Amino acid sequence: MVSIDHYLVLATFMFLCGTLGVLFRRNLLMVLMSIELMLNAVNLVFVSGSRMLGNLDGQVMVFFIITVAACEAGVGLAMVIALFRRYGTVDTNFLRILRG
Amino acid sequence: MTQELVFLAFAALIALCSMMVILSRNAVVSAIYLVGDLFSLAGLYASMDAHFVAAIQVLVYAGAIVVLFMFVIMLLNLGPDQRQHLQVSAPEVGVLALTIIGFLVVGGMLLLGQPTGVTGPLTAEAIENAGGNTYTVGMVLFTKYLWPFELASMLILLAIIAAIVIAKKEQNKDGDTRRLAHG
Amino acid sequence: MGLNELIALLSSDTAIQIIASVVKILIILVLCLQVPPLMVWAERRAPAMMQRRKGPNRVGLFKFRLYGLLQSAADAIKLIFKEEVVPRGANKVVYHIAPIFGVFTALVVACAIPYGNDLTVFGQKISLSPIRLDVGFLFIFAISSLAVYAVTLAGWASNNKYSLLGSLRASAQMISYEIPLGMSLIPLVVIFGTLDLNKMVIAQSAYPWSWGIVKAPISFLLFLVCMFAETNRAPFDLAEGESELVAGFHTEFNSAKFAAFFLSEYVAMFVLSALAATVFFGGWQTPFIPYDTLLGLVGGMEWLAALAGFICLIIKAAFFLWVYIWVRWTLPRFRYDQLMSLGWKFMLPVGLVNLLVTTLVVAFIEHAGRN
Repeated sequence: MVSIDHYLVLATFMFLCGTLGVLFRRNLLMVLMSIELMLNAVNLVFVSGSRMLGNLDGQVMVFFIITVAACEAGVGLAMVIALFRRYGTVDTNFLRILRG
Repeated sequence: MTQELVFLAFAALIALCSMMVILSRNAVVSAIYLVGDLFSLAGLYASMDAHFVAAIQVLVYAGAIVVLFMFVIMLLNLGPDQRQHLQVSAPEVGVLALTIIGFLVVGGMLLLGQPTGVTGPLTAEAIENAGGNTYTVGMVLFTKYLWPFELASMLILLAIIAAIVIAKKEQNKDGDTRRLAHG
Repeated sequence: MGLNELIALLSSDTAIQIIASVVKILIILVLCLQVPPLMVWAERRAPAMMQRRKGPNRVGLFKFRLYGLLQSAADAIKLIFKEEVVPRGANKVVYHIAPIFGVFTALVVACAIPYGNDLTVFGQKISLSPIRLDVGFLFIFAISSLAVYAVTLAGWASNNKYSLLGSLRASAQMISYEIPLGMSLIPLVVIFGTLDLNKMVIAQSAYPWSWGIVKAPISFLLFLVCMFAETNRAPFDLAEGESELVAGFHTEFNSAKFAAFFLSEYVAMFVLSALAATVFFGGWQTPFIPYDTLLGLVGGMEWLAALAGFICLIIKAAFFLWVYIWVRWTLPRFRYDQLMSLGWKFMLPVGLVNLLVTTLVVAFIEHAGRN
């Protein structure tokens, strides 16, 4: 029997990979992809929770998370394009105008 | 037995693809691994009888969002990540260590504790009898979550407009586009 | 393990299902792999007919000309024996896996189409499509939306500016027309009340006046146009632009990989044609002969009725394939901006209004029926 623990461990691993990607990749697009990975980990938690608790709210939540992730990816990528036009690079080490 | 085999297979795929997503040098190869990840995740959802979510996951996530990523990668024509001599500073090492420790703690807690929760009415059999996964998800979505659903559609509209405006080329007063000088 | 035990194991429920699945997959695979050679032959003879010339009619066997049917075999043999040239600077991994996306999606979607009603074999109910899901519809769209990757990755991995341009244009076209494609079929889901394709076929009884095309004609027109755009076929084939971008995204692919792209294009055409036949023309229903009457006609032998349904479906799909060829050799090519504005500014609003009107009508009818 596959209990919720297995799914949670897997989701934690995915989330960990996503976090490491956000922290240690210099390419802005890679950072965005790692964020998507984290969102998917959360989706997995919701779906497995919904299955274990006999409630469909988890799946509806996943539906909304996917919607919001799509919007965020769209706007984020538009910003990446605008940044690239302005600065010629998407390397996070060079995009540091907001840093003091 | 088959349930566990299926879970193991998909979980192995997901773990492998997740690691390769963050470890690949090339952004496009990372995107391909992300597609593999999302596809395996959809398979996992399907094995949990969440067919609607699985189909939506492939349709929207793997079939549209990652395509968008690839478009941007190809438009920006990025080369492989220049992997220089690894310049990690102390804060970054600290964060890395903390993250891994956090994962171990969470994993340990999960392996030791058993979650207890109230089991709701919609078990797998009840869903089957009520008309299938899509039907019941639709019923819940359009009755209990009607407001968030409508707000989500507004959000999508906002995101479309925002993306178009942000990514537009700058235009001169005469209306012809020019590229801004690189900063 | 003795023979008796082996037979007992093989007759158990799961074993029968597994064997049936394997047989079904093999049959569908073989069927789909027959389509490209036939289509290639038809693609050269049909326009010849339309243009009052002859087309290839020489390649035959043992001095029988065979109407040039073996031309496809000759083409296939040539393609396999050609030298495989990988362009310098191409990303090796992505270059080799790009064709796989196309072939995979086309063949998997072919498995999700119902080829006949459920059979009872050895006391087990077997559905005549290898993939039978209650979200069959969504599954088809989900998998076919992965076909964009074949085009995108192929162009990018070729290390060729023109391939990249062609692939970006082609994939933008494909994702733009995915939306009207799905949007045009949702009214049918609303009308028939199910996402399962087999139930949809059963709901469209054998009589043509209850087929999908009569209940949702605008959907049919939208779907017909989007079918062409999704498979990059004329008049939407500027991505291949045979006179413009050399060969577009598959310029740098030769021999077996080119054959793979070719294959995936024709199998996708077949699959979309079969989908149109299933959803709009009653699928495996024999016209005017309901399934029960058919069963009675063949004396209760279910597999004969299933075969008849299968042949009907193939004939209907073949009609659509003919329409593909017909339109390709009749209409000129769209320009890119015309194509995109058609997709976004015309098809999407029309699809939305169609959906709205259909939903309102169905809700009204249900409401009136309930009172």
